[in-house]
Amino acid sequence: MQKNNYENFTDTELLEKYYSTNTIDLIGILLQRYTLLLFGTCMKYLKDETKSKDAVQQIFLKVLNELPKYKVTFFKSWIYMIAKNHCLMLLRNKTEFKSLENFEIENDFELDKDELIIKEQDFEFLELSIKELNVEQQNCIQQFYILKKSYAEISKTTGYNLMQVKSHIQNGKRNLKILITQKREQ
Amino acid sequence: MKSNYKINEEQLLKYLNGSLNNDELHEFEKKMADSTLLNDAVEGLQTIKNKTSIDHYVSDLNKQLHEFTTSKKRRRLKNKSSINFWIIASIVLIIIICIIGYFTLDLTFKTN
Repeated sequence: MQKNNYENFTDTELLEKYYSTNTIDLIGILLQRYTLLLFGTCMKYLKDETKSKDAVQQIFLKVLNELPKYKVTFFKSWIYMIAKNHCLMLLRNKTEFKSLENFEIENDFELDKDELIIKEQDFEFLELSIKELNVEQQNCIQQFYILKKSYAEISKTTGYNLMQVKSHIQNGKRNLKILITQKREQ
Repeated sequence: MKSNYKINEEQLLKYLNGSLNNDELHEFEKKMADSTLLNDAVEGLQTIKNKTSIDHYVSDLNKQLHEFTTSKKRRRLKNKSSINFWIIASIVLIIIICIIGYFTLDLTFKTN
């Protein structure tokens, strides 16, 4: 694979290049960026190293076969959905799973940092919205984003376990986004 | 760039080994809070006791991926060359039919 030539390409650029040239190597380069993440995701659901390795190989084959059929825009969200569905399918031992065509709807699986772009006039909304979160979320969000503490430090000071801290931050962030959007529309 | 910021594998492995400094740790955890994929991956990788084996798994998987893409390319090339063969065979056949037709007609005119 001519990996070096494409190192500075974003996922979107690689996808565009793939759709215009139909070069399979480009999917290979793209997938290679996600090998570790896919393996980790499969480990989370399957809890077995060999099964996870096999699952990642199956996901690779699936992507190589499915990607040419659809116009994928957000590769990261798409591949996450493929991986998660594949693991859930293995766990449930069912043959049917969510249609790949619905991936557009699922794009909000990924809460990228750019989704929460705060404009200057939104700071007021942000301040008000934080106060509307529940105490746990407020506490975690403030310590994480304002005081720049790590998950472990927040866990120590609040007494929540690491999973709870992560969950409060993610849910708090999602709720903030909703609250700010509502305030913008009012 | 939505969904496009790069996740540094080295950083991820350092996070798992607990060798990031405070600033790096906070930046990495911010990325985790932003990405469900990264968050799930970290949770999964944290369950692996022998962290050195992760490198081997990833390297094996990348080799396998390379084989998949190579064999797919080969298959595509094979299909393409078999299509080319039939196109060339059809053209040759049409030319032969035309030549035979020409000589048959020519012979018919001459005998008349």
